[in-house]
Amino acid sequence: MPGWTDPKSARVSFDDWLELFDRVPDELIERYHYYGNNEAWSKYLFPPQMFAVYGMRHLRRLKFDNSLAALRMWGFVQNETERLFRARQTGRRVIATMGDLGAVPVIVNSYPKCVAFYPDCIWWTPFAMESRVLFDAAAELGIGDATCFSRAALGAFAKHSYFPDPDLVIASTGASCDDYSGVEQLAERFAREMLWVEVPMRCGMGPMGPMGLMLVKEYERVVEAMARLTGHELTEDELRAGIRRTNTVRKMVSRLRELAFGDAALAALEMMVIEFGNLHYYSDMDEWTAVLEHLLATAEGRTARGERMLPEDALRVVWVTPPADPLLLTYVEDAGARVVGTEYVINQALEIMDESRPPLEAIAESFMAASLIGTSKARTQSVIHQARKYEAEGVIISGILGGSHCAMEGRLIADYVKAELGLPVLEFDVTSPSREVARQIGTRIDAFLEVLRGRR
Amino acid sequence: MKELLTPRERFGLLVIDEQQDRVPVFPLVTAHAARVAGISVRDYYTDGVAMARSQLVAQETYGTDFISFFSEVGLLAEALGSCYEYPDDDLPLLATPKWEGLPRLSAEEDRGCTHPAADPLHDGRLRVYLDAITYAYEARGDTVPILAYVPAPFTTAQQLVDQEAFLLGLLTEPERVKELLDYATRSITRFCRAIIGAGGLPILVDPLASGSVISVEHYCRFALPSEAEVIRYLHRYDLDVVLHICGDTRATVGMMPDTGADLLSVDRIGIAEAVAGAGRRCRIIGNYDTSAILLSDPTTVEREVATMVAAGRECPMGFVAATGCEVPQETPPENVRAFVRAAKEAGRNLDYGRRRK
Ligand code: SF4
Repeated sequence: MPGWTDPKSARVSFDDWLELFDRVPDELIERYHYYGNNEAWSKYLFPPQMFAVYGMRHLRRLKFDNSLAALRMWGFVQNETERLFRARQTGRRVIATMGDLGAVPVIVNSYPKCVAFYPDCIWWTPFAMESRVLFDAAAELGIGDATCFSRAALGAFAKHSYFPDPDLVIASTGASCDDYSGVEQLAERFAREMLWVEVPMRCGMGPMGPMGLMLVKEYERVVEAMARLTGHELTEDELRAGIRRTNTVRKMVSRLRELAFGDAALAALEMMVIEFGNLHYYSDMDEWTAVLEHLLATAEGRTARGERMLPEDALRVVWVTPPADPLLLTYVEDAGARVVGTEYVINQALEIMDESRPPLEAIAESFMAASLIGTSKARTQSVIHQARKYEAEGVIISGILGGSHCAMEGRLIADYVKAELGLPVLEFDVTSPSREVARQIGTRIDAFLEVLRGRR
Repeated sequence: MKELLTPRERFGLLVIDEQQDRVPVFPLVTAHAARVAGISVRDYYTDGVAMARSQLVAQETYGTDFISFFSEVGLLAEALGSCYEYPDDDLPLLATPKWEGLPRLSAEEDRGCTHPAADPLHDGRLRVYLDAITYAYEARGDTVPILAYVPAPFTTAQQLVDQEAFLLGLLTEPERVKELLDYATRSITRFCRAIIGAGGLPILVDPLASGSVISVEHYCRFALPSEAEVIRYLHRYDLDVVLHICGDTRATVGMMPDTGADLLSVDRIGIAEAVAGAGRRCRIIGNYDTSAILLSDPTTVEREVATMVAAGRECPMGFVAATGCEVPQETPPENVRAFVRAAKEAGRNLDYGRRRK
């Protein structure tokens, strides 16, 4: 990159990035824009400090990848609220997709000038801000602490300040989580128009059995609703192109997972952000694709040079359910472990779609691999597969205080993992947003890693 | 009544050109906060925790939309070597400027004499500000923007040199003035960087560049380029920059957007005039008369603020209801309350968040 050479790969502190940013030439800041325009508002190569000034207090406690690609990624991702408002200001339609985590945006983004996003992802915001504001707003609407952190999405709907009021809300329900169904139902009052999509249970009859076909019918309803909204009849070619572009992203993420889990070319925090990019590409698929290319080149370069983000002898763990508090990932890595596999309830968004099939069938088929529409045992298979592949020494399951689905499933997954692999499992609930990892959780992580060390 | 948005959410919408639930409200409560909190003014400007606690109490008491740290315009000059007296119950006063006459900085540098930038952690009272920002950010940074006034190069330069010599130098030794401005700018950007690192949003304040002090020509030639330099630096971080120039800015308001500022905080100028001059390029912050808030009664304040807000809402880029300059320390709290009450009421946006089926 002209004017910039990445320093030796390392995880660095918030303050370190302020130093590093002094070296970023103005030309690079000018170079990256979202939505492919040249407006001043669409620049995004900014350091974590900028987002901290605007309230993202937790950033000050995390450790970051010190590459330009990672800086670019963080700038792009943190910028998403503004990006969604700018989408509306520049004549794009903004469609909230909820609950299915990965499938419906493939359809929505195939329409010209339409942007899909998941309000679900707001669940990180209270942690990023170290704030209860969104939870309090959700509580006023009747959904309190006895529900998953995903209730933050409801607070965001109520406030109209975290994303523009969507032109359409497409909410998946059925074989999904009760907590989130509750959030979706309460969010309906804020929707101009709400389309409910029934998500089937995976019943072991093959992905394109009756359940898969039912899903195709549901997706046809999505296409109809989008046609009504946009006045545009989506062609098969447009949808195929959308699938191709999605597959490009998913393939890059798949490769990045290999490089991170196998060679420690990226740390767990950045990898979590990357994996979740598969949901809706942080509201600009083209630019997110470019960001991923940059990350991939960085990670491949590291691997080729034998550079690692974490030591060779770090303890290897698989992580189940994304931690709402990202500081946990920093904490675990600082304590001497690294993440070599994840099951972040988004298996469906990692699947490559079959481009030779009729498009809606291809989307439905990939969705039938979803984490949450089958048994806990099936979900555990992915954990077991990754644990074997990367020789994991333990499994960490981070649940959600108040979350019904994850609370139920954690214990079952732990039992299956122990029975099948004989690996130690640490299971805990992430508590409310705060400045630091709760003492009790920190102690349990420390003790767990001691156990893993003792088993070597 | 609990409001829908937090001040941070409201400000966040303003700076991305979106409607807010109401106009943000920002009487410039600075050292007045110490009175509200029952803390001595001297403690306020010499102890970061006292400064932060004063501001936190004042923000909560009045329900304003910002926390804003400021004591006096000599902050940077003191860190660079000017001497100030600290009265017990008033703000610091310039005792001796660093130089009597305009220095020959480049000639001195040629002789090997360096002029390092001020160190935010060790020089003067810069650390007081940083401590205050850190404290307030931890306490309330999720809901309220934390602003820190930073004296601009032109104002700082006038605190480094005997003021008469400086003003004369604008006419007779412009190159030396420019060198001095560059010297001040280095320290100012370094201080801004430390503020950003602590979680604060720097506001550039340049009262000595007002039309009450200098000519339009001197503003364009000296003050504006140095303001622009600092703002360029802050834009590297994508920060939304407020430029505050109190006093009479009628002749320069049309040029102030050339600095690159995103929000202009103005004082002695009609709001309609400010909107006409700069409202298509900047959000306007202003500008209730600080003598009026000190001396009037709450009923008058309410009536006049409502009129001001009605005019300000015409600003196409957005408006913040503020005082033109600092709320005087002795201002009766009921007048500040009246200001806030009236601004919130007159600034309410009844269409905000309306479900549009
Ligand atoms: S409980 Fe688990 S599955 Fe349910 S909304 Fe929360 S994170 Fe998602």
